[in-house]
Amino acid sequence: MKKNFLYSSIKDSLFTGLIALALFGPIVGLRTVAKNEVLVVSPKWFIVLVIVIVCALGRFLTNLYIYNRDQKYGIQSTIGKSITNFLDTKGTQIALSAIIFSVIFPFLPFTDRYLMDIAIMMLTYIMLGWGLNIVIGLAGLLDLGYVAFYAVGAYSYALFAIHFGWSFWICLPIAGIFAAMFGVLLGFPVLRLRGDYLAIVTLAFGEMIRILLLNWYQLTKGPDGLTGIPRPSFFGLPFKSFPEEGEQTFHTFFGLEYSPMQRIIFLYYLILVLALITNLFTIKIRKLPIGRAWEALREDEIACKSLGVNPRNTKLTAFAIGAMFGGFAGSFFATRQAFISPESFTFIESAIIVAIVVLGGMGSQTGVVLATVFLIGLIEVFRDFESYRMIAFGGAMVLIMIFRPRGILATRKPTIILHKKEVTK
Amino acid sequence: MTQKLLDVENLTMRFGGLLAIDDLSFSASKDQITSIIGPNGAGKTTVFNCLTGFYKATAGSMFLNKENERLNLKKFSDFKVAQKAGVARTFQNIRLFPQMSVLENLMVAQHNKLMDASGFTIFGLFNAPSFVKKEKEAIEISKYWLDIIGLTHRADDDAGDLPYGDQRKLEIVRAMCINPYLLCLDEPAAGLNAKESAELNKLLLFIKKEKKTGILLIEHDMSVVMEISDHVVVLNYGKKIFQGSAKETKNSPAVIEAYLGTEE
Repeated sequence: MKKNFLYSSIKDSLFTGLIALALFGPIVGLRTVAKNEVLVVSPKWFIVLVIVIVCALGRFLTNLYIYNRDQKYGIQSTIGKSITNFLDTKGTQIALSAIIFSVIFPFLPFTDRYLMDIAIMMLTYIMLGWGLNIVIGLAGLLDLGYVAFYAVGAYSYALFAIHFGWSFWICLPIAGIFAAMFGVLLGFPVLRLRGDYLAIVTLAFGEMIRILLLNWYQLTKGPDGLTGIPRPSFFGLPFKSFPEEGEQTFHTFFGLEYSPMQRIIFLYYLILVLALITNLFTIKIRKLPIGRAWEALREDEIACKSLGVNPRNTKLTAFAIGAMFGGFAGSFFATRQAFISPESFTFIESAIIVAIVVLGGMGSQTGVVLATVFLIGLIEVFRDFESYRMIAFGGAMVLIMIFRPRGILATRKPTIILHKKEVTK
Repeated sequence: MTQKLLDVENLTMRFGGLLAIDDLSFSASKDQITSIIGPNGAGKTTVFNCLTGFYKATAGSMFLNKENERLNLKKFSDFKVAQKAGVARTFQNIRLFPQMSVLENLMVAQHNKLMDASGFTIFGLFNAPSFVKKEKEAIEISKYWLDIIGLTHRADDDAGDLPYGDQRKLEIVRAMCINPYLLCLDEPAAGLNAKESAELNKLLLFIKKEKKTGILLIEHDMSVVMEISDHVVVLNYGKKIFQGSAKETKNSPAVIEAYLGTEE
């Protein structure tokens, strides 16, 4: 029995090696180089050999330890169980310490400009992930065009701020409302669609918005992008190194030395607050009738209809509220960058946000944070090896899918509990 | 004579060339269990789908008589039949929300009431006392029904983890949570063992007696049909071939012929 298993896994890994050879042989092995103005094939068989051996060995090891059904407690279930147990029992403490950490983060000794920028970017993705979690995780509507709402938020913020000179706190809700309106606009035609078909239409919607921004030159300045978006001010106090005569700025008002970090720190707290609002809102709304209806709709639409739940309104609110948070995040993005162009809103952004939600475990708020730190952190770590970044990204996804097939945190807690005692068990 | 709760008049449903229901008329009373039986493909589930708004009937009318109004069910489209007219249904293949807890399943059934109380979510976000009170009431109603089917101890478990028989019962009480005038049950006894069938009968008789909800029942399990139905309608090829009490049905030559064929 055991010998048989070993034999079959060796056979399987040899087969994997063959596939790797067929794939990487031509792609990696046959490299053309220009020599004396002629293209010459220069074979790189050694690298191919290494790749093939790595693939075969990896397959062999996963066969032995992960897909081995005889082995009752394989690595997969042990790691998975311990992670789930740990997060289940210590969930609140972890969340609290994470919040405390993020609050004091800007003042930690090792924090520099670079880390702050990464932290701000991560928080933006966390906020987008939480927003999209409403649509995908709760309502079960696979939305591949989420970046469209991010773009609508960013552009409406930028246009209102540039043309009317309104402040950030006025433009923010307007941007959110605009994004929500676009959410409804997308929601209406796709009411009857589910699953793959919905994904295709939302993907197209995302591209439509990007192309619209690219071509509506009078309004959006097309590929040139919008420049000179006003920076946010601290309740009316701008962050400027050289204030004009009689102008109060942040550092003069508080009697501080001017430092560009002040603005970065302010931006950091701004996105932290926005993200936490998104999180609190989602946690609360999940326990309200509308949140429960979203989840019920994800589970079974026909049963919902038979109970008198209006599927149209329920779906549209999910789209609208998800889009609204995308819009908030977008206006934050616009004010941080001070420059936006359609380049920033490509499909890859949507894909990353969807990956964050799915890998985090659909519907799990903590999962979104973990997945963001993991994925965005990984992309950043590999920043110096540019061409390998996407490989690392893909590799991370494969690892998560092997060890946690339903996402990092897949457990769902009921929104309402009858027996209080059972919870503390 | 008591007024009928449901009057189906000349109901016809046509799918292209197929006549699924052919000029069907019957009625059901408020505190009675009316069974619809018939061989496979007779059009029983199609009748339900017309009644509950999943199909739009080709012709005919279906009237629901409430205390002081007479509603034509044909005018309500899908979810509005449950929301506005108060007709609840269950499905041949159970349709619970498997990954939601048992209690949540019952709370979703009370969605419209709670949604109004939560002021379309705005009051709910701020825990308005009126909403909290309504939610507590909804939990009490859920608890009441869970006590009746003996599932209170499993209220916080996923509905999909319940044994099959309990899932059937849960689906029925979930439908009852919308406080319906008419409850349409599509083969509730399918796949149940003898003990579970007996419990089901008890539950249905309780609903009929205590809640005064009219029950419309599609069933193949004759022990259930014969034991609890007050009134039986027999369909074959979309036509009504017989109606009467359970005992009369058992001895009707037309019914025997439909089920077993004629001796030739």
